Amino acid sequence: MIPTTYFVMLSAVLFTIGVVGVLIRRNALVVFMSIELMLNSANLALVAFAQARQDVGGQVLVFFVIVVAAAEVAVGLALLVAIFHTKRTTNIDEISTLRG
Amino acid sequence: MPQLTWIIALIPFFPLLGFLLNAFLIRNERQAGLVASVMVALSFVVTIASMVILASPLTGQPRLSVMLWEWIRIGSFRVSFGFVFDQLTAVMALLITGVGGLIHVYSISYMRGDIRPVRYFAYLNLFVAAMLILVMADNLLLLFLGWEGVGLCSFLLIGHWFERHSVPPGIVPADAAVKAFVVNRVGDAALLLAMAAIFSRMGSLNFFPNQQLGVPGYLERAGELAFTNLDLGTFGAIGLISAITFLMLIAVTGKSAQVPLYIWLPDAMAGPTPVSALIHAATMVTAGVYLIARNHTLFANAGGTSGWIVAIGLLTAFLAATAAATQWDIKRVLAFSTISQLGYMVVAVGLGGYVAGMFHLLTHGLFKALLFLAAGAIIHGTHESQDMRKMGGLKDTMPTTFRVYLIGALALAGIFPLAGFWSKDEIISHAWFGAQNPGAAILLMLTSGVTAFYVGRQIALVFYGKQRDNTYHAHEPDSTMRNPLLILAGLTIIGGLLNIPGLHFLATYLNPVLEEREVVYDTGRIIGQVALAVVTLAIVGGAGYVGWYLYAKTFVQRIKLGKDDPLVRYLGDLWRGAEIGWGFDWFYQRIVIRPYREVSLFLGDVFDKQGIDGMLVDGPGRLVGRMAQSLRGAQSGFIRSYALMFLVGVVIVLGYFVFRS
Repeated sequence: MIPTTYFVMLSAVLFTIGVVGVLIRRNALVVFMSIELMLNSANLALVAFAQARQDVGGQVLVFFVIVVAAAEVAVGLALLVAIFHTKRTTNIDEISTLRG
Repeated sequence: MPQLTWIIALIPFFPLLGFLLNAFLIRNERQAGLVASVMVALSFVVTIASMVILASPLTGQPRLSVMLWEWIRIGSFRVSFGFVFDQLTAVMALLITGVGGLIHVYSISYMRGDIRPVRYFAYLNLFVAAMLILVMADNLLLLFLGWEGVGLCSFLLIGHWFERHSVPPGIVPADAAVKAFVVNRVGDAALLLAMAAIFSRMGSLNFFPNQQLGVPGYLERAGELAFTNLDLGTFGAIGLISAITFLMLIAVTGKSAQVPLYIWLPDAMAGPTPVSALIHAATMVTAGVYLIARNHTLFANAGGTSGWIVAIGLLTAFLAATAAATQWDIKRVLAFSTISQLGYMVVAVGLGGYVAGMFHLLTHGLFKALLFLAAGAIIHGTHESQDMRKMGGLKDTMPTTFRVYLIGALALAGIFPLAGFWSKDEIISHAWFGAQNPGAAILLMLTSGVTAFYVGRQIALVFYGKQRDNTYHAHEPDSTMRNPLLILAGLTIIGGLLNIPGLHFLATYLNPVLEEREVVYDTGRIIGQVALAVVTLAIVGGAGYVGWYLYAKTFVQRIKLGKDDPLVRYLGDLWRGAEIGWGFDWFYQRIVIRPYREVSLFLGDVFDKQGIDGMLVDGPGRLVGRMAQSLRGAQSGFIRSYALMFLVGVVIVLGYFVFRS
């Protein structure tokens, strides 16, 4: 049996990769992928803890997260397409019309 | 005939109807003049009818009164919209509608071809209506409505030619109108204060008791309140009646153009000449004298104020007479003369000679209207010139005008047996014998001399010598203008009969209202009065002849357009001072108008723009803007930097919870 600590460490590594990806990548699509990475690292931690505590609640929560993530991707990609139509770019640094 | 008393409401109604017709329906010059004149004539007829009813023994009342409706009702403050018609009102209404009617007829011809004759006649009718309301009001507030109404019409008619930038002698009509209105405000404010004092201490603004309304009349209560004091807090106390009458006196100096508020009247000559005749000579300016006569029970109980009234009247009479002697403009001479004659009336009523004052008011209304209308005929006949230096020799080209003008001028000077002689003599003899005030009488006699001097000067300048400006051919007025002149001239000749010594018709007629003691004629009084009349006549005759001789013979070669009067060489600064009306205008310019302008400029440019607008309005806006400016940098619009912020925030919050324990 693989110790829970390994799962949690992997989850932390994946989450950090996601955060760094969001912060340093300019392509909106890659930013999205990084967000998915963060979500899934959280899923991994949940599943690992559920296994360790013999509690099914954590696994149920993961399904919810997957569903919400799917919805979020659907909306996010639609926005991305719409922005690309008008701005002809997916570089999020060029999309700064909210600048004060 | 008490059931017929309602017809007195028709007296002001007809001119008001004429105003409404002219204002809303009539668009044609001929109809406007006709309607306006007919309405005033109808009003005149009703006035006569009302006088008959008043005199009828069947009436059984001291006065006719009619209350149309209750005007104001606030607690115990009740004011009626009602008219009274007693003997005092009767003579005033007769003057207003009689002379007013003649002036309306005259105006039909005078205003022919004017740019807005319909408006002119509408305003003229409105004036007559307001003036009638003034003299017929049964309470002080309604009187004030008329008082303001005539002021408004005066404003509108002075500014009749508001689009002209200058009328002779260099007055801007619009400015003159505003000046008349603003100067009158001072007096009106005083009248309002007087009303407030009367209501608060006497409980009513009605002159006479009104049963329908259930309010007493304040005139009868003057005696019992004679020793009441008005508490002014830190300023001590002042007799109630004295305070009220003094405030009324200020109102009189405004409306009746007395020192120190007379300055608007000379400029009011910017209006059409019939307006000067009707409003600024015969009727409106006498409203102040009427106010004093109406409130004579108050003035009889105000010893302190009488002295002021007499002093102001004497000063006005003398200063204005000297100013009249120095003018070149034919209408300005008459304007200053009007101020001077109003001074006579004010002196008379101040000395308790109400009948003498009313008598002079009536005769002055006749002969000054005549003079103004004749001056209008001269202005018309000489193609709109008003400068007497352009005239001369009109005796031959305008003989009828010359004769009527001479009658009016001699009446003004007070030559026997014209109307002015009797009324002026009445005032002087009342001052000397009735009021035991020889000083006032002597000053009035001196003023009569000055009056005669400027009358002689004017006659000489206008009618004698040779015509100095030959660019026009003087012509006589047409019959529409001539007939009113002839009627007024006739009335001026016989006007003295109204109150001729010995018979005293006017005194008898006004006795129920004014309750003046009958003059007892013993031998001493008769001799004294005759002597006084002879001396006055001698002064007047001498001064008049000197005035005529100087300008018709001695100086006749030295009068030139644009040149000073030959007498300036001998009198110098005295003459110059008189010419500008003794500098009251200059004084107000320095003391009132210029500081007011400065304060206004400061308030407008500095206080408002920089203080209110700059600090209070723009200040908070700028403060918020500046604060926002410093925060704007955070809103870069870069999603990644927002995400970094978010991360830092999460780390801080989590760190707090982790390391809290």
